[in-house]
Amino acid sequence: MQIGKISLHTGKTGKTTSNLQTKNLTTNPFGVSFKGNVIQADVFESAEKKGITQNIGEKSKLFASAVVSGINNFNESFKSRMNSIVSFGKKITTNVFDTLERIGNTEITIDMEKVKNTIFPNRQYSVKQLANKSVEDLKSIWQDLETECI
Amino acid sequence: MERIDKIKNIIQALGEHKDSQAAIELLTEFGTNSAEDEIRELTAQALIKKNTHESLRVVLISKGKGINDLSARVAMTSINELLSLKDKTEAIKILDDTIKMHSDEEVRNTARSVRALMTFAS
Repeated sequence: MQIGKISLHTGKTGKTTSNLQTKNLTTNPFGVSFKGNVIQADVFESAEKKGITQNIGEKSKLFASAVVSGINNFNESFKSRMNSIVSFGKKITTNVFDTLERIGNTEITIDMEKVKNTIFPNRQYSVKQLANKSVEDLKSIWQDLETECI
Repeated sequence: MERIDKIKNIIQALGEHKDSQAAIELLTEFGTNSAEDEIRELTAQALIKKNTHESLRVVLISKGKGINDLSARVAMTSINELLSLKDKTEAIKILDDTIKMHSDEEVRNTARSVRALMTFAS
């Protein structure tokens, strides 16, 4: 008995064929049936070409290169973000110092009486407030009120 | 705040004002000539409370003002205020002069009545 070619269909691994076309191949002891179709896997050829160790080695290289490129990308994006944050911080600091300098050089005077009168409009008609005004002012206020009546 | 309340406060402020002379002039000009009884009443009270010769003259000898006002309410309030004065000396002096010398009989009669009341009150 001669085992010439065990693999009857090389180069088309994993390809399914219909029942009718693969009737003659059902003798293949390594053929796997799935829902009536035979999956023709050439296990011997692939096992000969690439050993398990070699496969693992290649996969680990791929994984390592992916990790390295990932790290590089992360570093670049992190650096660019950090740069933008630093420049933003510098800008803010400059603005704050400028504002503080301006505030330091500006004299702010608030007329609290006017503020209070704006918030409480009737306050200016309190007896205490009116008594502190000049008679001329009181005369003009009274005149305005008389005009209001007309 | 209503307009009348604002004017009431102005009158009260003028009654307490440091510049008494100017305040009396303003009260005489605006307050005693007001069309509203309430304002005339308050003005008369403020002038009497000042208890000065100038302020009392306005409410005692002027026709149509103070005790001579056509409104009974204003006249009665003025009389009550005069009666409640602690020092009535100046008021009595002006009333006596009015009774003796004023040209208007009605003013003289009113002054006489008030003078009598003040005599009983003191």
